[in-house]
Amino acid sequence: MIAEKSQVTRQLMEGLQKLSSKIAFIPDEEIVSAIRQLEEKGLPNNKHEDYKYCNIESFIRREFKTLDQTFNPLDLKVIEAYKLEDAINLVVLNGNYSEALSEKVIAKGITIKSLNEITSSEKNYIASQAKSSSDSLIALNTVFCGNGLFFKVEKGNVIPMPVHIIYLNNNSAPSLSNARNFIHIESGAELTLIESFINSGGGKIFSNYVSEKLVDENAKLTCYTFQNEGPLSYSVHTNAVKVNTYAHYSNTTITLSGELVRNNHNIELAAASCEAHLNGLFITKGTQLVDNHTLIDHQMPHCESNELYKGIANGKSIGVFNGKIFVRKDAQKTNAYQSSKNILMSDDATINTKPQLEIYADDVKCSHGTSTGKIDMDALFYLKARGIGEENARKLLLQAFAEEVINKIEVDSLKERVLHLFEKTL
Amino acid sequence: MANEILEEHIQNDYKWGFTTDIEADEAPKGLNEDIIRFISAKKNEPEWMLEFRLKAFRNWQNMIEPEWAHVSYKKPNFRDIIYYSAPKPKKELASLDEVDPELLKTFEKLGISLEEQKRLSGVQSNIAVDIVFDSVSVKTTFKETLAEKGIIFCSFSEAVQDHPDLVKKYMGMVVPPTDNFYSALNSAVFTDGSFCYIPKGVRSPMELSTYFRINASGTGQFERTLIIADEDSYVSYLEGCTAPQRDENQLHAAVVEIITHKNAEVKYSTVQNWYPGDKNGKGGIFNFVTKRGLCLEDNSKISWTQVETGSAVTWKYPSVILKGNNSVGEFYSVAVTNNYQQADTGTKMIHIGKNTRSTIISKGISAGFSNNSYRGLVQIKKGASNARNFSQCDSLLMGDKCGAHTFPYIEIKDKTAIVEHEATTSKIGEDQLFYCKQRGIDNEKAIGLIVNGYCKEVLNKLPMEFAVEAQKLLAISLEGSVG
Repeated sequence: MIAEKSQVTRQLMEGLQKLSSKIAFIPDEEIVSAIRQLEEKGLPNNKHEDYKYCNIESFIRREFKTLDQTFNPLDLKVIEAYKLEDAINLVVLNGNYSEALSEKVIAKGITIKSLNEITSSEKNYIASQAKSSSDSLIALNTVFCGNGLFFKVEKGNVIPMPVHIIYLNNNSAPSLSNARNFIHIESGAELTLIESFINSGGGKIFSNYVSEKLVDENAKLTCYTFQNEGPLSYSVHTNAVKVNTYAHYSNTTITLSGELVRNNHNIELAAASCEAHLNGLFITKGTQLVDNHTLIDHQMPHCESNELYKGIANGKSIGVFNGKIFVRKDAQKTNAYQSSKNILMSDDATINTKPQLEIYADDVKCSHGTSTGKIDMDALFYLKARGIGEENARKLLLQAFAEEVINKIEVDSLKERVLHLFEKTL
Repeated sequence: MANEILEEHIQNDYKWGFTTDIEADEAPKGLNEDIIRFISAKKNEPEWMLEFRLKAFRNWQNMIEPEWAHVSYKKPNFRDIIYYSAPKPKKELASLDEVDPELLKTFEKLGISLEEQKRLSGVQSNIAVDIVFDSVSVKTTFKETLAEKGIIFCSFSEAVQDHPDLVKKYMGMVVPPTDNFYSALNSAVFTDGSFCYIPKGVRSPMELSTYFRINASGTGQFERTLIIADEDSYVSYLEGCTAPQRDENQLHAAVVEIITHKNAEVKYSTVQNWYPGDKNGKGGIFNFVTKRGLCLEDNSKISWTQVETGSAVTWKYPSVILKGNNSVGEFYSVAVTNNYQQADTGTKMIHIGKNTRSTIISKGISAGFSNNSYRGLVQIKKGASNARNFSQCDSLLMGDKCGAHTFPYIEIKDKTAIVEHEATTSKIGEDQLFYCKQRGIDNEKAIGLIVNGYCKEVLNKLPMEFAVEAQKLLAISLEGSVG
């Protein structure tokens, strides 16, 4: 088993080594530690507690026997279709930030550049939150990442327009992309950030995203993650966030497609009196697997966290929610809430949930609740009795179920897009 | 009343911590096939039993000690344990008069007076007791009364001799020897335990009870309990345990199996009070047990109620496999940890049959430097239509040096299932404490009151005698934890 495990990882590493160039923006010792992690631990499989319901290694073994890394020339129309009109659109193509495809930003106080261009002081931030030793997929990204995006909002600047990063993969044969970014919101600044994940090529893609976000004192970062990568896509999204005093971070993840979608949200509430809010909605069909994994690490007192995750599973799909609230000794007066609600639509679908509390401080209020069931038969009857057909009644109920999460989106154009596509998936 | 209990407790932290000077017949230390043959020969066991043990042992040798539980401890050295210790002299006992008087004194200290039990026979609230002393059953009371109804209640060794067909048929059915590291070890070296068979259509007229006691030093206790409820039968079964105060860690690795046939019901209650170690976390029992019930046929029910106050490290997940249609599984638990105790406990509810229902109520209380985890699995298999589960796990924290954790796993493969899970963690309510104190109730008593109220849902499920004991235990276990 162990020999086999390292073989999958080795094959992958050898395939990539030929194609990758030296990464200058990540400290050498971090790259060394990443290589060590990959060699020792290999890619996570279901023997790994955090990947119990999401066997990454077997997906790679099965679907990515060879890696070609061939990418098509891009049709600009594809990009246009995904842009949001009321936002500043940036493009990350096949794991690399593309300045040419991105819109020019004229707003004051924003720094946007590729990771290759960062200064040595900015370099210190990279890999400070997403540690290779904590997860082999972070390690994989650290060793093989492309030229990512560095985004900074300077002190006290409130950006009036949302910023929209489009991650587009356009490969024709089985490929792997390792996109990476660093988002820094300096003290007192505010930003709304939308990240859309799309796949337009005709080949299978394994995309391994790592995003590090640093929210300084009094800053506010509102994120929306929109995942609609299609049936050829296998993706892991690692989102490592550090929130400082009086800062506010929120994220709403909408997952509408993707054969495998794994979201790792690691939120560090690193200073007193800060807040984090995580919301998620997924709808799956076919043989999809969507695994939402959250870790909220309460390190300091008076912090608050809130989680709401909802899922609808059709066909033979599997939906997973694993939420961990970790309250450290010093984090007195913590309020942490978590709720996960799921609907099973077919006999072959599966929902696995694991809401976890690990608490080492006594003056806290923590709770979690999870429920899984079918569509409420009484509600269905009520609608049918009023002359609404079964099909429509079901749709109405599912929409109502999903809207609790969708309504968290405050960017109109994105909300409309999500509502429209959600209805289509139903 | 509570005051007296507390005072008593201050003088003697663990009042069951005495040892009894009874000469014991021991096997040499260590574990190998010869020791297993020695145990088997000592117990005069048939060939198939020895085979079962050896098979389990060979399996065990290839197994690795599990490490996933949220506990840390120094692993026991399995070569350093005495796997067989029997009080001497051992001969056939026809009446209580023949029992070693030292042993009787021990039981009186433990609060189970066999004499009294005997005198009380015929009274409504009586209990049949089987006592297991250092892995060997010393006495079963009320055997004759039960025999009239056709109920078999005896030590496991007797069952092997007298009812080999039943033992052969059911042993290992729910917890196969290959199940896990400790169940394999137990299957190889178990020395005794209780056996209980309720025949068709019989409601047990009294509660059956087993009392476990570890006495000798350096020994491990490995007992096995097997309860079979045939069609339309009912039994309520109690289990209690204590151990002397010692600086070393002693291992207790038991296996409990329950099998219910059509329309049968088993109610299993336990108050676990093994020696938890001293205030600095020295000594105490490692309690690594496998308890599992199987609702084999339709309309059967298994209910686990546990009050866990003892042991240095607990690793225990009483489970129910709901195989029969309309079967019901219940788990009610109160787990208290204080000082340096660690508990990782919970349940598994595996829904296989249609219309199966399960309820989980778990209350964890942690104080001192302890860690208390709930770990549970609710699994709805495909085809288990209309399965229903409700789980609630609450944790109460006292002091800022302890930890409370929940690890619930919920796996659902049937769309008609309805599963709910709730968990809360909080500290003891300041306003509740204030309310009590304002009315002249002192801190300690107020805590006792609030904790008992918090655990009421579970304590209510315990049989009368146990409920009283459990309430006292809760108060004692938490003494000095706040303020």
